[in-house]
Amino acid sequence: MYMGLVDTMNYPFWLENFLQTLATGVLVGGTYALMCVGLGLIFGVMRVINFAQGDFLMLGMYFAFYLYTFLGVHTLFGVFVGPVVAAFLAGPLVFIVAWFVHRWLMSRVSGMAAQGAEAEGGYGQLILTLGISLVLQNGGLIVFGSYPQSLRTPLSHQAWLVGPIFLNKSRVVAFAVAVGLALLLYLFMNRSTYGRAMRAAADNAEAAIYMGIDVDRAHRLAFCIGIAMTAVAGGLVAMYYPFQPYVGLEFVIIMYTGVVLGGLGSILGAFWGGMTIGLVQQLSTLILPIQLQNTAIFVVFLGIVLFRPQGLFGRTAERT
Amino acid sequence: MDAASRWRSPYAAVAAVAVAYVVLAYSIPNKYYQLMITLMILWSIMGLSWNMLSGYSGMVSFGHAAFWGLGAYTVTLALVLFNITPWLGIPLGTLVGTLGAVIIGLPTFRLRGHYFALAMLAYPLALLYVFEWLGYQEVPLPMKREHPVLFMQFNDQRIYILLALALLVVAMLISLKVERSRMGLSLLAIKQNEPAAEAAGISSLRWKLMAIMLSGAIGASAGGLYALVLLVVTPGSVFGVLVSAQALVVTLFGGVGTVWGAVLGAAILVPLAETLNGELGSILPGIQGVVYGVAIILVVLLAPEGLYWKARDWLTHRGQPVPEPELAATKGAPTVAAAESPAMATSATLPSTRARAEPSAEAEPLLQLREVTRSFGGLRALDSVSFTVRRGALQGVIGPNGSGKTTLFNIINGFLTPDSGSIEFNGHNIVGLKPNRVCRLGIGRTFQVVRTFPRMSVLNNAMVGAFVSARDDARARVMALEALERVGLQDRAQRLAGVLTNKERRLMELARALASGPQLILMDETLAGLAPQETDELLTQLLQLNLEGLTIIIIEHTMHAMVRLAHDFIVLDHGGLIAQGRPEEVVQDPGVIEAYLGKRWMSRVAN
Amino acid sequence: MLRIEELSVSYGGLRALSGVSLEVGQGEFVAVVGPNGAGKTTIFKTISGTVPAEGGRITFEGQDLLAVPPSRRAHLGIAHVPEGRQVFSTLSVLENLQMGANTASGHARWAENLDAILALFPALKSRLKQLAGTLSGGEQQMVAIGRGLASAPKLLMLDEPSLGLAPAIADAIFEVVEQVHRERGLAVLLVEQRVAEAIESCDRGYVLESGRVVMTGTQETLFSDARVKQTYLGL
Repeated sequence: MYMGLVDTMNYPFWLENFLQTLATGVLVGGTYALMCVGLGLIFGVMRVINFAQGDFLMLGMYFAFYLYTFLGVHTLFGVFVGPVVAAFLAGPLVFIVAWFVHRWLMSRVSGMAAQGAEAEGGYGQLILTLGISLVLQNGGLIVFGSYPQSLRTPLSHQAWLVGPIFLNKSRVVAFAVAVGLALLLYLFMNRSTYGRAMRAAADNAEAAIYMGIDVDRAHRLAFCIGIAMTAVAGGLVAMYYPFQPYVGLEFVIIMYTGVVLGGLGSILGAFWGGMTIGLVQQLSTLILPIQLQNTAIFVVFLGIVLFRPQGLFGRTAERT
Repeated sequence: MDAASRWRSPYAAVAAVAVAYVVLAYSIPNKYYQLMITLMILWSIMGLSWNMLSGYSGMVSFGHAAFWGLGAYTVTLALVLFNITPWLGIPLGTLVGTLGAVIIGLPTFRLRGHYFALAMLAYPLALLYVFEWLGYQEVPLPMKREHPVLFMQFNDQRIYILLALALLVVAMLISLKVERSRMGLSLLAIKQNEPAAEAAGISSLRWKLMAIMLSGAIGASAGGLYALVLLVVTPGSVFGVLVSAQALVVTLFGGVGTVWGAVLGAAILVPLAETLNGELGSILPGIQGVVYGVAIILVVLLAPEGLYWKARDWLTHRGQPVPEPELAATKGAPTVAAAESPAMATSATLPSTRARAEPSAEAEPLLQLREVTRSFGGLRALDSVSFTVRRGALQGVIGPNGSGKTTLFNIINGFLTPDSGSIEFNGHNIVGLKPNRVCRLGIGRTFQVVRTFPRMSVLNNAMVGAFVSARDDARARVMALEALERVGLQDRAQRLAGVLTNKERRLMELARALASGPQLILMDETLAGLAPQETDELLTQLLQLNLEGLTIIIIEHTMHAMVRLAHDFIVLDHGGLIAQGRPEEVVQDPGVIEAYLGKRWMSRVAN
Repeated sequence: MLRIEELSVSYGGLRALSGVSLEVGQGEFVAVVGPNGAGKTTIFKTISGTVPAEGGRITFEGQDLLAVPPSRRAHLGIAHVPEGRQVFSTLSVLENLQMGANTASGHARWAENLDAILALFPALKSRLKQLAGTLSGGEQQMVAIGRGLASAPKLLMLDEPSLGLAPAIADAIFEVVEQVHRERGLAVLLVEQRVAEAIESCDRGYVLESGRVVMTGTQETLFSDARVKQTYLGL
């Protein structure tokens, strides 16, 4: 794929290769950033690591797929706009699923009784999300089958040429939408009353109650919005990444790493963390065999967790 | 009950489990069901491996597949590449699993809670990709038709059942041994309150490492046998998330922190999942995972500690003292009736300040702080504090809330390191030592908010403190009983710590500190929340301990009790030492009065 | 206005309050003093609902408070300024104050309240955009009190406002509280270790020991009482 370019342009191969990988890294990183923002929001507010986040992403992919392929989005909006619309519509649908999951399962082991990450209730939630993950994954296998699917759009095999670099159109679209959505969430959290209340509940649940904030409701909102964000990211990725019901596992580590890298609890950090992971993953292919690109992520993950658990972008505000 | 009969029951139960499996194996001719029985046993072992680390120490692991996979691949590759028989391969795998556990444990134990769980998740997945990259995507075990026995290849599935059973019995015996030794008690203490355990002299890193090594060994041996049973190994099937999840699920479902949980959980869940998979697997391909997922959800919502504990609570009625896994010898002792212990000394018998033995000025210095400073962010919690405590002293530390008193204790016992300054205890420089080392040198402590191990008996709470200096568990028990007697809690020894009154909790914490045979005890607001009568009783006991030669540093927020107790006060305010001296002098000090009561009171008194 | 009758509370199997009765009248300033561990903070938390009551009644303006969900109680006009300040450290000072105005009455009077709060605590004016976690202890206490006032409460509950503050700063905080009480006729319930300030500011006071009210009386009774002095100075 790169060979043709070498003939026509006057860039040395290594530089061109590097720039191409860098560009892909940024584009991929944008969608990772949105996924990470979703997971980061949930951890930030609820202080629980959602093991099932990757499986909700998978759900987002399948919802987008069914909407696009069978439920008319393809016919209504065409092959270019359709995938994006389908990804967007997957968000609210998964939001509803998440609402029920929180209402019936998560809220039973959370709330005021289980404050603090180290409390036994915290483990209860963590383990509960593992159970939800297994059910979604394997239930997905039963419902959706194991055949790899994808959102078929010509965008995924068209590219814009910028200088010596190919920019895959589906990736560019996914990147733009993902970054835009992450920005919207950021504005929501910082400018709206609801967003501020969620941040307050995340910061200090007890004090939030004294302010008349319904902390349980703030938790539910964070859980559902966080999952919906990740699901939309999944729908976007589905344009160029074939998926099956176990796909969540591939992304869940990416999300964990991004969120930890950005500093657990920081939404802005999660964004940059996800972006960084996209870059690390792509750039690692320059020096490592392709099968090890995920191992590179684990190395980063373990390195961060072990040596800088507050994250690279984490801002440690003093709490007295 | 004599010791022998107490020891018999759990081992009889292990034997019963073994016999039941043998009978089951030989009464079912169907090979498919025999395979299922083998898997039940293997998952029991894997559950015990998970329980060894996560059940006993409370550090939840999402990555036990690492050990399982290392065992499986070691056995397989040893056979494929070097023609090494599994008879050697499984021990080798066990060794690899143990080594892997050390390599994983050493860095990862720096983490707590969610971070630990997450980091553990990454290890098997990283190994998965590495083994794929190495080209071991699917490794079948070669058939050795000429020497089947030599290479552990049996036609009779029941032989594998017996082999697995042997491993299970070993794993159960190890688990039982751990539960009933200082290791189990130490891990339980760490699980319930790690800082308190450290302060009581327990090296949490040491015991956690022991736990993960045993865990790795058990998990890897089971994984090795699993490879032989299935005859083919893929990275996904041995390092996959489902393996880690299954280890966790069978244990959570059956019961955490007990040898019976994993055995019970596997015996129910494995046949259920396998049968459903066998019957419906072709129509519903993921049914097995769904079963495990639903099992987790139900357990977390309905019986968060698992069936075993739920059943046990149900059988023994709630509220009765249910002994946690504890040292064998403490079981079966009569439950003490709730009769009040005879009232100890009342305030009338309190020795007056003047009449107390006081250390002479020549007594050697036991603890010396020089210019100790510690800041948090911009706030100076301790600002260049220097003082000396002589052997035999009863030193009071007073000051308003937030003046740095607890920080001072945290620095002395090693929870915090000073930014600058030196601390010498008994001639040793103790700056930078971990709390358990400081405790070993002879400094015990109690906490402002009592830190008990609520689900352990009073005796076991005190024993945790005694391990520091006791040679063996029997000696620790004796020392713990002595310490309980010194504080007058001998009648409560078999009670669960969680049901004690506030005063009894404080006394028990004191006994735990005493059990290590300390030279110096740091007591943080021991009198907080006590009624006047209780305060007097406690004061009498402290004076008695001091008369017996124990050096005590005690923090109090209010002064009225302290003036009757301490020989000497130091007063902290905003991290600085603002006064030191005899009680009657210190309460006259204008700086002290202002720190406590403020200017307005002073002006009012002056008028 | 606030009436607590025979309140009992247990924490982790331990009795923290037994049969505590306490009253705050309209516009009254009431202090609760007592040693650490006596249960002062527990009273506040039970009023706000973060600790469940075991027995007894709490009414606020005649309404049964224990039947109101914790997050609705602030909306009735109770502002709780918790021990240790507990500002939202990752939110800016302005956002902290805005969180206080989460109640309907606080929302309606936000602009005028903000001006009033900044007039009381001019030091906060230049720091509105700063993260509350980066402020000094005294400034954080100002934010915590300001946040409470921003809800336009009928009752202000202050838990150890002087904790860890230098005397001069604590004095300043006390003066502001007194001023608010005087000028707005706001009812105040205060828990404080600095006995003199607490008693001098209050109309009435309660002495709490081991979860029981051992003494109650007007400012003058408390001042002349030997027990209060003895508790704190051992004289």
